Amino acid sequence: MADLREHPDDDLGAYALGALGEPEARRVESHVATCATCRSVLAQHRAVAEALPLGLEPVAPPPEAWAAVRADVGRHRPPRPRGARTGTRPLWRHAVWPALTALVASLLVWNVVLQRELSHRSPGPAPGPEVEALSRRPGRVVTFAGTGRPGASARLFVPVDGGQGHLAISGLSALPRGRTYQLWFVRTGSPTVTGGTFAVDARGVAWAKITIPPSLHDVRAISVTEEPAPGSARPTGDGLLEGKP
Amino acid sequence: MPDLRPGAGRTPAPGEPAAREELGLVDRMRLGDETALESLYARHGGLIYALALRIVADPELAREVLQDTFLRCWDRCSAYDAARGRLVSWLVSIARHRAIDLLRSRPHQARLREREALTELRPEAESSDVTHTVALRRAIAGALQALPVAQRQAIEMAYFGGQTQAEIASALGQPLGTIKSRTREAMERLRAVLWPLIGPGGEAQKDRG
Repeated sequence: MADLREHPDDDLGAYALGALGEPEARRVESHVATCATCRSVLAQHRAVAEALPLGLEPVAPPPEAWAAVRADVGRHRPPRPRGARTGTRPLWRHAVWPALTALVASLLVWNVVLQRELSHRSPGPAPGPEVEALSRRPGRVVTFAGTGRPGASARLFVPVDGGQGHLAISGLSALPRGRTYQLWFVRTGSPTVTGGTFAVDARGVAWAKITIPPSLHDVRAISVTEEPAPGSARPTGDGLLEGKP
Repeated sequence: MPDLRPGAGRTPAPGEPAAREELGLVDRMRLGDETALESLYARHGGLIYALALRIVADPELAREVLQDTFLRCWDRCSAYDAARGRLVSWLVSIARHRAIDLLRSRPHQARLREREALTELRPEAESSDVTHTVALRRAIAGALQALPVAQRQAIEMAYFGGQTQAEIASALGQPLGTIKSRTREAMERLRAVLWPLIGPGGEAQKDRG
């Protein structure tokens, strides 16, 4: 059954604008499903339609707009996983959903703990915006026990998406020149690797950037030792603090 | 340091830095990194707000559209499929749908100032733009301006007003056939002028920034 007007040339532009009524839109759709020429023309019209808003001069939004978005996002709304259409994202399959819930819970802990660390840090160089940014990233907290130094305590903040972690530490004494504290990741099946060195201030407090290894799966312990400056390739001192990831 | 230059108007080829950067933002959002959303907002918020204003003509409603758009982007970032188009186009389509919804559901609030020139709005600082983005914007605006008034009106009522041809015909007291031919001619002119710029290999692809 031949249509009088086989190619809906007149309607392709309107379709791209979303300006066709229902029956006409459906007719265009069923036609382009089988017609490569019209499909290609439609693609051009669609690109034009999508370009129209790009002709607008941007207008600065009111500041409260972003604040409202951030507040809502920060209220523990991790992106909802939708697997099917993106195809290659096994990470977001159902099996991982419980892990995401745990992640959200640890986000809460993370924020609370960070806030406490912040409030304990009076006066002294405040970590400031760095900590702000860190507190907004989902991550884990590793708590250390002062096995070798009773009274010392530490928490390591590990962002879930990699990148630098941060160590908040207290209860260690300031070291003389030529000595430094060093953090280690003790791994199963791989050599122990360092996360960096740091010094505590006169109050025995430090807030240090730590390099996190690519994977924590094979890390069985995290420890802090005292080493000769500027640090050692392998731990030589006794473990002062120990934590388990 | 992320490149915060607006990526509007460019269709990044796969592998092109801007495309990779935007896919990186999506990946980070999927992992819950809010700073990625913030980067996206810095990059496209002004455009989305401008679009919302253009459609609903009310700053409060436009702000609602803007907020809803980025929240929806955050919620549904797992569903974003780079093969189906640019990130900015995805944002624009979310914003446009939301704005047209509000236009229809709160007509008394929207378009109160349709006739007023929205001159008190602050344009976004040009310093954050790059040459080709501004050039493309002017080319698009110029192409619309160059249309005969009746044709431009048909396009704008369809795109920014979310109206069907039948609704436009009724609103203007014109026969449907007239609106159809105005739309068709307008889209043909726009395609002739803009496709060389926005299509693959077009001027918009070249990084002049």
